[in-house]
Amino acid sequence: MSARENILARIRQAQGRPGAAPGEAELASVREEIARHEIGPLPPFAHAPDRLAQFLGECERLGTTHARVASEADVPKEVARYLGSQGLDRRVAGWHEFAGLDWAAAGVAFEDRPAAKDDATGLTGCFCAIAETGTVLLLSAPDQPKVTALLPETHLCVVRASRLLDTMEESFALLRAEVGEPPRAVFYVSGPSRTADIEQTIVIGAHGPYRVHAIVVP
Amino acid sequence: MKVGLFVTCLVDLIRPGIGFAALKLLEGARCEVVVPQAQTCCGQPGYNSGGRDIAKALARKVLAEFRDCDYVVAPSGSCSGQMKVATVHDLFKDEPDLPEFERLAAKWHELSDFLVNVLKVEKVPGKYAGTITYHDSCAGLRELGLKMQPRYLLQMAGAKIAEMDGAEVCCGFGGTFSIKLGDISTRMCENKCESVRASGAGAIVGGDLGCLLNIEGRLRRTGDKATKVLHFAQVIAGEERA
Amino acid sequence: MQLQSMFFKQRATEKLGDELLQGNMRKAKGKFVDGRAKAVAEFGVWEEARTHAAKVRDRALANLDAYLVEFERKATARGAVVHWAETAEDACRIIVDIAARNGVRKITKSKSMVSEEVNLNEAFEAAGMQVVETDLGEYILQLAHEPPSHIVAPAVHKSKEQVADLFVAAHGKPRLTEIPAMTREAREALREHFLTADMGVSGSNFIIAETGTTLTVTNEGNADMVTTLPRIHCVITGIEKVIGTLEDFASLIRLLPRSAIGQTIANYHTLTTGPKMPGDVDGPEQMHVVLVDAGRTKLLGGAMQEMLRCIRCGACMNHCPVYQNVGGHAYGWVYPGPMGSILTPVYVGLENARDLPNAATFCGACAVACPVKIPLPDLMRKLREQQFDRKLRPWPERVVIAAWGFAVTRPALYALLSRIGARVANWMGGRDGLIHALPGIDGWTKGRDMPAPAGRTFRDLYRQKESGRP
Repeated sequence: MSARENILARIRQAQGRPGAAPGEAELASVREEIARHEIGPLPPFAHAPDRLAQFLGECERLGTTHARVASEADVPKEVARYLGSQGLDRRVAGWHEFAGLDWAAAGVAFEDRPAAKDDATGLTGCFCAIAETGTVLLLSAPDQPKVTALLPETHLCVVRASRLLDTMEESFALLRAEVGEPPRAVFYVSGPSRTADIEQTIVIGAHGPYRVHAIVVP
Repeated sequence: MKVGLFVTCLVDLIRPGIGFAALKLLEGARCEVVVPQAQTCCGQPGYNSGGRDIAKALARKVLAEFRDCDYVVAPSGSCSGQMKVATVHDLFKDEPDLPEFERLAAKWHELSDFLVNVLKVEKVPGKYAGTITYHDSCAGLRELGLKMQPRYLLQMAGAKIAEMDGAEVCCGFGGTFSIKLGDISTRMCENKCESVRASGAGAIVGGDLGCLLNIEGRLRRTGDKATKVLHFAQVIAGEERA
Repeated sequence: MQLQSMFFKQRATEKLGDELLQGNMRKAKGKFVDGRAKAVAEFGVWEEARTHAAKVRDRALANLDAYLVEFERKATARGAVVHWAETAEDACRIIVDIAARNGVRKITKSKSMVSEEVNLNEAFEAAGMQVVETDLGEYILQLAHEPPSHIVAPAVHKSKEQVADLFVAAHGKPRLTEIPAMTREAREALREHFLTADMGVSGSNFIIAETGTTLTVTNEGNADMVTTLPRIHCVITGIEKVIGTLEDFASLIRLLPRSAIGQTIANYHTLTTGPKMPGDVDGPEQMHVVLVDAGRTKLLGGAMQEMLRCIRCGACMNHCPVYQNVGGHAYGWVYPGPMGSILTPVYVGLENARDLPNAATFCGACAVACPVKIPLPDLMRKLREQQFDRKLRPWPERVVIAAWGFAVTRPALYALLSRIGARVANWMGGRDGLIHALPGIDGWTKGRDMPAPAGRTFRDLYRQKESGRP
């Protein structure tokens, strides 16, 4: 008997179910339980009256800086301003969806490719954002490499206010509705990376980015 | 109203004054108090050592001894937890005498809870003019929700309460733990004594004699002869003798 | 990791005298305990959320085989290869095989407690492969050749000076004194490994049956490097980690970081389903999931099943006064504190961990803190019952309990013995009413006096008083 068969049989025996493996009726019942997508109790701030304010407030708690711009066309200017304010090179590796913006006018060198190990700054969008926790959700896709949000020291993220949801549960519903099965990576990012492994002292900037800057567009 | 007094094995053996304090408080509130002479122990030391049979035997013995009482009162959170929670939720959960233990649990009260929530006393005989700090014994706190009751009574006696940091942290007694893993127990006790000292109170008061012996034992060993260690019953009954 | 759980008592005593450890534990306790309290207070519906979380965990555990089969079906449909390992050795063999077949020379790892259980790193090294821990705490411990002492903050027992010394020896750079600089040095050292690893091994906080998804929850981002960059990704997970839905994950993850360290959310939650998809520019070519039993089935179907709800948050140990005072290494295996006092005896044998179920006063602080309401003290008591029935305690203890049990059920005998005992012990207490030493209870009297009995028992005095009444 294989390990799989042994383990399943042992589980069933311990729990007093006959047979060596789950039958179709049992599997169907599990699928029914799953299909209910039961949501648990939500804290009061999960449905804040001012969703954007909740999102920005949580960003601040996490160390994500933020700026609002009037439209997507203004993103390159904001990127230039931000990088200048941090003393960083005006050069980003970014997602394809932003390649058509007027980077030259803003004086930013935009490279439409996945971030590599020497890139200082990465620019991504996000599938949606979550107000409860100040989180942005990135989904892996051919023109949406996850490495761009992960490798560089600075992660710039364009957040569309129209895609700002209250809770993680709502992001699952949106994912199911628009994408169906999850892609390989469903990546919830809440602030710059951190660690407290040395004497419980929080240090911002562990293996992921040191800085996350959210650029909020309508 | 017939109230059976369950004195507890530690009070019986080591500090009978606590039992007499309880008696005085109950009789002072017009209870007819009976003290079944054959009582020995609630069984918790056996229960927590893994001896279910002896724990059940002792619980049944207690049930028989106090059957005719309207209430049973004990000056201990841990014995009360044993007879109210361990019996019903574990030891007799699948036993035919479960209903009897449920009845016993319903009429069993720890002393401060009985005075405050059943007798609803508005005054106590004792007068205490100093500052005390209160140690919340674990079983009483977490199994029975005892917190406000003893403090309310102590304030009735005029005591000022200086809460210590870590009032709810275990003192390290834990029954046989205090001997089996004595080094850890001593350290936990020392932490408690530090909290007591930091509170600035002249006395530490509690509701479980095991904890109090533990704390007093460490205070005295470390040279503190001054800090009083008292059961709340002694304070509110006006009897600070051993 | 070498099993040392049988030495708990001695090691605990040593750790009580370790000033450095004591200081580190005190600092950590404040952060963890106060942090959680604040997060709980802000949450509003904490108790309801705990009840729901326990239900979520129980739901899958009640039909564990069906949930695992459903997970396997969905994961396989997405191109993951699902393996089943009955024992620790099987798990290592499967994973090292995968590595060997694929010419793997370097492995990066994100934190996985089950990988510590099975000694995976040793298996890789025995096969001549290099394995690099990437969670900063685990990386530090790898350099120190030490096991973790806490499941969430593994290097909680180390001071920054100790870490600085380890880094000097490992990185060959000038010795640093500030924590941010040390963190940056570790980042640079590990970045190279991330980019050159052939295989990444991760744990999985939960596995989701609905979608065949494994997931990691980190603050550092190391798990993302480990699961995205190498060409082979291997997940190792206990079979009890399966949950039904993404929503179940959302419910649990509200509780986990708050319970662990008072954080509202961890920086990175990454749900991974299968290997690279057509068109993806990053991601592994192969993804394997190894489902490990290694004793978990022993907990199923009885009073101990609730232990499998555990979400590895560490709240129990953070709130346990025993753990706070002795630290994690005293427990001698992968899991310290209350959850360790239960899992270690079950997984390595009660006879190898006799003191662990006894390393508790049953104060209940752990049960209050547990986000999935595991009745930890009750489960420890169950193990004590097993010890009692199997006569695993030292014979003097067993004799004393038996003698006590004999006397305490016989009122007349007990009355006689207690009358004698009270008088003798009162005499021993002398003028200051304190007994300074008493053979048999030197566990007590080594560090404390024993207040002497008053001399007469309550029952004797009461009977005397009553007989004097009209």
